[in-house]
Amino acid sequence: MKKIKIPIGPQHPALKEPISLRITVEGEVIKDADVRLGYNHRGIEKLAESRTYVQNIYLMERICGICSHSHTTCFVQGVESLCGLEVPKRGLFIRMLVCELERIHSHYLWLGVAAHEAGFDSLFMYTWRDREVVMDLLEIISGNRVHYAINTIGGVRRDLSEVQKEKILEGIQFLKKRMEYYTNLGTTEPSFVARVSGVGILPKEKAMSLCAVGPTLRASGIASDIRKDDPYAAYDEIPFSVCTATSCDVLGRVVVRIKETMESIKIVEYLVKNLPSGEIKVRAPRKVKEGEAVSRYEAPRGENIHYIKSNGTDKPERVKVRAPTLANYPATIEMLKSGFIADIPLIFAAIDPCICCAERFVEVIDTKNENTQVLTMAEIKKRYSKSQGLKKGSSVWPL
Amino acid sequence: MKLRPGAFIPELLKHLFKKPATVMYPFEKLNIPKDFRGTPVLKPELCIVCRACVRDCPAFAIEIETLSEEEKKYKMTIHNDRCIHCAQCVESCPTKALFMDDGYELSTDSRRKLKIAYVYSRPKKTAQQSSEK
Repeated sequence: MKKIKIPIGPQHPALKEPISLRITVEGEVIKDADVRLGYNHRGIEKLAESRTYVQNIYLMERICGICSHSHTTCFVQGVESLCGLEVPKRGLFIRMLVCELERIHSHYLWLGVAAHEAGFDSLFMYTWRDREVVMDLLEIISGNRVHYAINTIGGVRRDLSEVQKEKILEGIQFLKKRMEYYTNLGTTEPSFVARVSGVGILPKEKAMSLCAVGPTLRASGIASDIRKDDPYAAYDEIPFSVCTATSCDVLGRVVVRIKETMESIKIVEYLVKNLPSGEIKVRAPRKVKEGEAVSRYEAPRGENIHYIKSNGTDKPERVKVRAPTLANYPATIEMLKSGFIADIPLIFAAIDPCICCAERFVEVIDTKNENTQVLTMAEIKKRYSKSQGLKKGSSVWPL
Repeated sequence: MKLRPGAFIPELLKHLFKKPATVMYPFEKLNIPKDFRGTPVLKPELCIVCRACVRDCPAFAIEIETLSEEEKKYKMTIHNDRCIHCAQCVESCPTKALFMDDGYELSTDSRRKLKIAYVYSRPKKTAQQSSEK
């Protein structure tokens, strides 16, 4: 049968954000896929170099709207390690509390999106309604629903009162009850299970070799979680388990996220009940000592990495962000292969893509002499044409 | 894992007799929590023109102009169209001259209407205050 290339995106009803997928199909079956990025680049890393560390916290928060706390925590942890600051216990606990509440809200949101892509819109409406409860809790704690802005260098900005603690425990009970119901539903409703099981298979070895992260990796049976493997904040003191599934498909990813939400609810309960007393932050210097730091964080979508290089002034010299979605793209291509066209939105939604998070600047490194270069788009096109033997003026990306 | 056809139906039927989850917004409003980060407001009598807020604002939304050096007259402009409501200015302010109110209905038909200017003189130190120090 003849192979046909079809473009999905950059603007497509199945995609929530602009990304271009070039799918090679043979009949209905996907044979190959190609991901093209760069439609949503905002130049955040460059912008970070011209702002002070305090201003950068709020800039980092705006990398992503769902995991805003992940990016600030990751950045702030790096800066704290550069300054040699020790955050007070209470500050760390509040930071972790917001982190886990964020994970709950992100997974609730994802469950709704997955249900919507699978054609189960009632579940989508119900999960999003219940998600409002956790959004309200975050608003009570931090003063805003989406951009919590609770982190500051050296701790957190707001303390937790007894009234707030009670409200959190109350809200968490409700969320627990609802999630138990959805666990039951998501694994027993025959039409939903039939739609998601066996779709987007990612075998264990492939997940490992393609460096998948987060729930995508854990759904392939690998128990990898930064909170356990390389504990940051005070995760080494908190009892929790890493959730995995062995089915390696979209159903596995649903199960992992549901289990993780239940685990997060337990962590929130533990944190609120065992909140230590004391200060919530230490004073941070405006100028950061010269050096470089790498910070890792388990965001709801997977491992988030920030690299910060400081030069002794109040502005960083370089900030590099590796968002979890970027690490999951190679695995997505593997999942798409031998699937059907109708599965594309579901498979793509199953990695919980945040496309604008993953839009980063590219540096070309020569493997022979390790020279680094920043290239213009025109130069990349020229080199590509040369390597492909294209004539001048012909389309770089023929379709 | 045992499959149950129609597992969702009891929940759906239950919701037929429940009130809607949403509120009729312009007529009915949700409660705003305490310490909600609304819009920044200045108490001009407390400002000492240290410019800490100008330095720390991530959106460059605060501007302080000197109107007259002798009279110590200043003009602070808060650009609410640029403000990202992070409340860093409130935290940076050493005299607590800035605070966040609970206003969230900011939409207008023009950007210019969102600009708020305060003209004030820096409080001169009274004899009593100087002696306290």
